[in-house]
Formats: sequence, structure tokens, C-alpha cells
Amino acid sequence: MRIGIDIGGTHTDGVLIDGERLIAAAKAPTLYDNLLESISQVLNSILLNQDPKAVRTLNLSTTLNTNAIVTGNIDPVGVLVVGGPGIAPETYRVGDHYHLIPGSLDHLGTETAPLDLEALQAAFTDCFEKGVKTFAVVAKFSPRNPVFENTIRGYLQERADFISSGHLISGQLNFGRRIHTAYYNSAVWRNFHTFSTALMESLRGFNIQAEVNILKADGGTMPMSRALETPVQSIFSGPAASVMGILAITRTSSDALILDIGGTTTDVAIFAGGQPLLEREGISIEGRPTLVRAMHVESIGIGGDSLLQVEQDQVLVGPKRIGPCMARGGFSPTLMDAFNVLKLAAFGDEQRSVEGVEALAVAHGMTGMQLASKAMDVAINAISAKIEDLIALVNSRPVYTIHEILEDRPIFPTRLIMIGGPAAVFKELLQTRLGMEVVVPPLYEVANAIGAALTRSTSYLDLTADTVKGMLSVPRLAIYRSVPRNYDLEAATSEARSLLIDDLEQAGVSISADEVQITQADSFNVVEDFYTAGRNIRVVSQVQPAVIAHIDTGNTGIRVNSRP
Amino acid sequence: MLKAKSSLGVIFFPAYDWAISETHPEREERLLYTQDQFREEGLFDIQGITEHRPLRATDQDILRTHFCFPSVDAIATESHRISAGGAIQAARLVMEKETRRAFALVRPPGHHAMKVVQGNRGFCNVNIEAVMIEWIREHYGQKRIAIVDTDCHHGDGTQDVYWHDPDVLFISMHQDGRTLYPGTGFPEENGGPMAAGRTVNIPLPPNTSDEGYLHALEHVVLPILADFKPELIVNSAGQDNHYSDPITNMCFSAQGYARLNEMLKPDIAVLEGGYAIKGALPYVNLGICLAMAGCDYSAVLEPDFNPELIREQPDTMNYIKRLCQQMTDVYFSPKQGGADREGRYFVRERDIYYDTENITEKQREELKDCDSCSGIRIIQSQTRRTGACLGIELPFNCCPDCEQQGYERFNRKHDGFKVAQMLDRKNKHYAYRP
Repeated sequence: MRIGIDIGGTHTDGVLIDGERLIAAAKAPTLYDNLLESISQVLNSILLNQDPKAVRTLNLSTTLNTNAIVTGNIDPVGVLVVGGPGIAPETYRVGDHYHLIPGSLDHLGTETAPLDLEALQAAFTDCFEKGVKTFAVVAKFSPRNPVFENTIRGYLQERADFISSGHLISGQLNFGRRIHTAYYNSAVWRNFHTFSTALMESLRGFNIQAEVNILKADGGTMPMSRALETPVQSIFSGPAASVMGILAITRTSSDALILDIGGTTTDVAIFAGGQPLLEREGISIEGRPTLVRAMHVESIGIGGDSLLQVEQDQVLVGPKRIGPCMARGGFSPTLMDAFNVLKLAAFGDEQRSVEGVEALAVAHGMTGMQLASKAMDVAINAISAKIEDLIALVNSRPVYTIHEILEDRPIFPTRLIMIGGPAAVFKELLQTRLGMEVVVPPLYEVANAIGAALTRSTSYLDLTADTVKGMLSVPRLAIYRSVPRNYDLEAATSEARSLLIDDLEQAGVSISADEVQITQADSFNVVEDFYTAGRNIRVVSQVQPAVIAHIDTGNTGIRVNSRP
Repeated sequence: MLKAKSSLGVIFFPAYDWAISETHPEREERLLYTQDQFREEGLFDIQGITEHRPLRATDQDILRTHFCFPSVDAIATESHRISAGGAIQAARLVMEKETRRAFALVRPPGHHAMKVVQGNRGFCNVNIEAVMIEWIREHYGQKRIAIVDTDCHHGDGTQDVYWHDPDVLFISMHQDGRTLYPGTGFPEENGGPMAAGRTVNIPLPPNTSDEGYLHALEHVVLPILADFKPELIVNSAGQDNHYSDPITNMCFSAQGYARLNEMLKPDIAVLEGGYAIKGALPYVNLGICLAMAGCDYSAVLEPDFNPELIREQPDTMNYIKRLCQQMTDVYFSPKQGGADREGRYFVRERDIYYDTENITEKQREELKDCDSCSGIRIIQSQTRRTGACLGIELPFNCCPDCEQQGYERFNRKHDGFKVAQMLDRKNKHYAYRP
């Protein structure tokens, strides 16, 4: 049996699943000061009359780290940055202890200026004097050559509680993102570490002996042991959990869109051939781009509780939200109230909706019906426009080979899957406007927890081999070793595959070779003085997010147990 | 985060699956290290710098610009179409005001491809800037456009395409043709009889470095541009003038190149040559992008950059200054006449060598000195491979007489030409004789 728990902004949802069968589901309020209590409430409910020892896997999606950043509950981090020529590394300053250390590597990883050890010592002294115990160490082009990062780590090891090294976070090139990712990873580490210890303790109290995984923003999981090394990867996993849940409920294998309509915002994600589309490089945290792999989710500031306003005869819907809709006791009319007026919904106190919308309408020379119908148009148009933009964006992504230009299959979603409170209301309207099939799946209230329960581990790595230099590197696994001159693309591809399988194996996850995707496999002849001197090989392998089982939705006997 | 002062669209298309041959310098990984540098610098994380896919140039896009013999497919492979399509995308972004500027970082290059194309010259089959400019004119009207070609090699192809066109100013700054392929590009080559002074060649001596290039830019190029008042400035941004380039002898640097673009302010830049793919391209391309976007580029330095080592000798600098003093005359008071005439026609007869394929084209061009329009152009072209080919070009403002004459000639049968192509700008009709 598997447990999935999603700690969201308002609710904590949990499910217990056996194979394809949903055994139990529960909801509890999220208590920010005591997440363990929220988890316990959900576990008590779903494990009622169940044997906790039969639970093999517990997957947890949590806003813990996101929330820690938002509320500033983070550690001070000593950020030690080795830049070099190019865009000034000052650009990426983050936190209160940002130090630039002279030294540089070029794009081949060749050292072009030595590390300034005096500047490094001065930075250490400054950090330690200020009580800094966690560090982020990042050099430009460190995935090509980790020498500077390793040297700095060597000096720090004894005196720091935790160090994030840039090249271990991602093999992808992007200096600024690497700095930010390493910074946030160190910043949330202590809080996450404390939480993890308490969680494991609490699970023992429940007699749960399951392996524990943490959800990532790409929709996959990582074992707790990995999460303790890269806690930053758990950020923004909530929307990804919902998307994976829908995948488990609906068996989507074609191009499709997913719309999650909430109170304040509507999130849109896209599936290409049944796989969720990821951000090209990573998501932004506090406006800073990072290398945290994440599902591409676009947010629109329109939801059921979006405030209705009239400005210069224009009806505005959102992005402001003041409170709940009037039908639920709010004091200003919202989109949901407009739906009540139009008789598209019968939610809460309909009379209050009618009165509220009418009052706003009359003040601007309209009838309530006119205002409500305009508001609906505005909302539908905004959502449709965003969807069309997203499809256009996905189809105009850069490609780098002639083959890709000629063979590229445009992504053309024909199906829209909607979840969230007001989903049913929007169904007909969007179906007409977008001309695609719109589906509101069952069990969507706990899709997030189902997604958490059923998603599998994901991982990826970048392998680069340069047979002229005779070097092979897999930065994320800290592999830097020599290769023979005849090392070729075939060898590199098979190595990238087996290294990823081994790496997951070490983390307690076993996958078969055909589950590994090779997303890049290029070999370039390196020509020097008009002779082919060797090959520059680049391979990226990954295990994509996928659900391990589909939920049998014919089983309708489940009631979501909510606690007050 | 960094923010671009002028928004910049970059069309990055390295064509990782195409090369002329196994070890040819114009090869698959030419832009590989540039891409590494861009990625590590997070160029596309800069607010206002965006990356775009190339479009694909159609037969019409190419036939609107070139006479392709024996057929467009024999000349243009997919890679050429996509490279030209990259330049078109750059133009589209700027013309549609999606971005203020655009840089097409594409390959293969194009500036040695002439009006008539019978094969590959100097690594080029299709003149990607010319295809782009003709695309602009087809969709946005006859614009005044200036092309500043800063590739180390003389842009003889672009010069040839616009030789007779007074609305396109072509300025080329290159290593002196007495010391480098293609051996042309002297001040005396200053445009056809209808466009005298609209071609400006600045042959710089070997070992010209930043000071020399920027001197020529400031004292020749910018004053001419200020007078010509183009609606668009295009930089043919070849980077083989870099001090580390393996096939040339100049000493330009990334700093110099960035400064050049900051001063020139091109609307569109298009990559041409540049074969120091590890030591130069990553830095020069980054410098150009930052300069075009109005971002600080002061720290974009090659690891082995030492301005003292590449600085011009005093003699070289004196030569450049003297040359530049005479150069503005080429534009402001161009020498007229000199073109051969046969009745109402200006006539040019030339042999054109295609180095990559080792063929020689015999060409005869007749341009009508018409009182009512820019005049019909008739080109006869022949190589040992294709036999006799005929090209007929009718200008935008073509008069009824020239138009009638053109179509009579085009529709003739059994006139001895194996292939005939009509390039009718007036009616937008670009086709081969059936």
C-alpha cells in the first residue's frame, strides 16, 4: 500500500492506495506552525482499521520550504562565488554574505586565472565572525571542472554545518541560476532537516516502516536521503502533485491541457504525448531564476473569489481577491457570485450574490445580468488567451538541429482537463470557446494526494566527454575521470543510462533501462588545424515523471473524511 | 536581475547536424562553445533578451533574391533555407516591433553568394542577408537599408547583389583583398552606374586591431550612414577578424566588436564567418549580444586577451588614418562613368570562380538605361555543369516597355538556354521557364 500526502496552502490531503484501488482519503486544515499535526490528522483518518506495516511507500509533497522562504524562516548563507570574464557576478548577489573570489575557468573548464586564496580566507573570516554556518560554493563553468568548488569545500568542510556545491546541484550550465539554486538549497536546509527528523520520529509512532519520498516540482519524487542533500528540489511541488494525480485518474496519453481553477488563481499545465512539459531550465524563486526542474505551470490571476470591479465601463475580474464570494459570506461580489446570478451555479447564499452584483452594476449603469455576463466573458477570454499563448510558446521553443525543425511535431491539445471548485461551471463555456473536449474528472478533490502517492522517482544527469582532453564528466554525480580516445557516442549513451540507473538504485529506487530517456545525444568532431582531433560528446539522460498505477475510478465508495 | 535597455531577439541556430565536409571549418560545432557560453552566462535570463526559432526560407524567398542555376534545390539545402530563415526571423521580430533589435546567430553563412548562384563560394550558397532584405521589401515596401559588413573577408556576394541598387548602401570593412580571399573589395569598386557611391569598400591592412577598426567606423562608416539615413541598419557580423582566427590576419577583439556594435547600433545583425570557435566566438558573440541589448559588456574578455600584444604598429595606424581620409569621397563624390555601354544597355562580362566546387561561371549582364524605370536586367550565365542559363530581372518600378520585353524574352522557346528564370519584383512573380 502507498500513502500520498499533499500539504497545501489551506488543506493537507492524504490518500491510502492499494494497487489501483483508492482505500481512503482525508482532508485536514494545514497548520503552518505544526505541519506534523496536520500530517498526523490525515494519517489517523486514512489508516483507520488498516495495518500501517502494510504501507510500503509514503510520498510527501510539502510547502515547508516554499513557506520558509516566503516567511524568511531561512538560515544565513555564506555565498562564495568564483566568477571570471563575462557578465559581472555581482549581478547574482543574493543574501547578506555574498563574496566574490577572484579566479576563473573557461567554457572548456580550463583554469585561466588561479583561485585567490587570500580573498577566500578573508571571506571565510567574515562569514564565521558573523556566525554563518551554511554555505553555497559556486564557480563559473564548475560543471566543466569542479576544482575551485572542491578546493573551497575542502577548506570549509570541518567548520560548516552544510555546504551546497554548484556542480552537484545540476550539470546544466547557467552560472546565475546555479548560484541562486545553491543559495536556496543551503538556506532551507536546516529547517528541512529538523522537520525530517521529527517526521521520521512521528511515522515510527504510527508504526509506519515505509520508505519516505519527497515530491519535487517536476512531478517526481526523491528519497528522503536525497531530499536532505537537495531540499530545494521540494519547492513548488503542489501543482505538480495535482497534475500527476490527474494523470493517474484520467489516463491521459495524448496532448492535453490541465486547468486547476482555485479561489485566487487558475493554473495551466500542458501534457505532450501524455508527459507533463517541464520548464526549460528551472523555476524562479522570489523572482530569481534557478535550476530547480519543474513542471511548466502558468498562473492567471482569475479564480472563483476574484473581485469584480468596473473601471471606465470596463469590467475587471481579478487579479485582486479581498475575501470569499458574497454567497459564502464575503462583502464584495466575485466571479462566483456572477455565476450564481447567471444561474450557471447554485452556490451558497444565491440571494446575496444577486444583491451584491446588482448593487455594483447599478452604480455603473448596468443590470446585474449584464455585469455578470460581461464578467464571465472577461474570465473566459483571459483563460482562453493564456491557453492559446501557452500552446504557441511551447511550439516555438528553440531547437538546434535541422532534423528537429523538419521533424518537429507541433503540440496540439484536443482535451482540457479541469479541476478545482468552479471547474464544473467553466466546463461548457470553455468547451465552446476553445473547441476542445473539456473533462472534469472524478476524485479531483484529492487529485494532489493521489498524484503524490502514485508518482515515481525522477532523476537526470548530464554527461560530457572530450576525447581530445581525454576527460569525461558527470557533474551531478561528481564523476570526473579520463576516457580513451576511441570513446564514442554509443559508449557515452549507454554509460549515461547505466549511471542514472545505478544512482537511483543507490537511493533505493529500482528502474529498468527502458525507463531512462536520452534527451540529448550529440557527438561533435573536434577539428584542430584541419584534422579531426577527437570528439566532444554530450548526453543527457533522465527518468521522466510518471505514475506507477492508474486509479480505478469505478470504485465510488470513497468519502473524503474531513476534520473540522 | 539584468535588464536589456533595448530588447533583443536572438535566433540561435547552430545547425548541429550539418557541415560542408568532415573537417571543413564551417562545421557542426562552430557554435557549440558559443552556446555553452550563452548558457553559462544565462543570456536568455536577461530581461528583454529572448531566444527564437528560425523560420524556413521558401523557394520564393530565395528566387526573389537570386538567380539559382540550374534550380533552387540544386543550390539551397535545408540548412541554407533555415539559415536564411533565421535572418528572416530576425527581420520579422524587428519589423513587427516584437523586439527592438535582433541577432541571427545562424550558419552556414552567405555573404559570398552573388546575384547568380551556380554553387558554393567561400562557404556560402545563399546570401542570407540579401534574402532577408528582399523579404523585408516584399512585405514592408521598398526600404532604404544599409548593410555594414564587418566580416574579415570582403562581402563580394552582397556587393554583387546590390551593385545596381541605390536604395541599399553596402559598406564592407575587411582585410585588404591583396592579402586574403576573395581578393576584391577595393575603394574603386563603388557601385554600378545607377548606384555610384552606394558601395563603399574599406580594405584594412593586416594586423588591424580595435583602434583601427573603430577609427574607420567613426571616420568613414558613421558619417556616411548619417547622410544616407537608412531606415534599417544590418550588420553582417563575421567574426573572423578576431586576433585568434585561424584563416585570417586581423587583430580584432571581443571588446572591440562589442564597442563597434554599440556605436553602429544595428537593427539587425547576422552572423557570417568566424572560425576560432573556442577562443573567439563565445566571447565575441556574447559581446555583440550585450552591446546590442545595451547591457554592460566591459568584463567580456577572452582569457588570453592582452591589448598591448594585438595593438596596431604606428605604421599600420598611420596607413589606416590616411586611407580613411580618402574613403568618405567614395560615397560623397563618387567617380561616375567607366561602365561599358552597348546602345541603351550597360554591359558587364565577368568570370566568377566558385572555390569550394572548383567551377568557373562566365557571366554577361545587360542593364537597360531606361528613362521610365530602373531598367530590365538580363543575365546570361554559363558553367561547364549547367550550360547556358538566362536570368531576367524586372525592378519594383518596372515600366510597361521593360515588362513586355522581359516576358517576351522569358517566354521564347528554343533560344538555346537550358534554364531561364524570371525575377519580377513588380508583379512578385519568381519562376523558372516551364
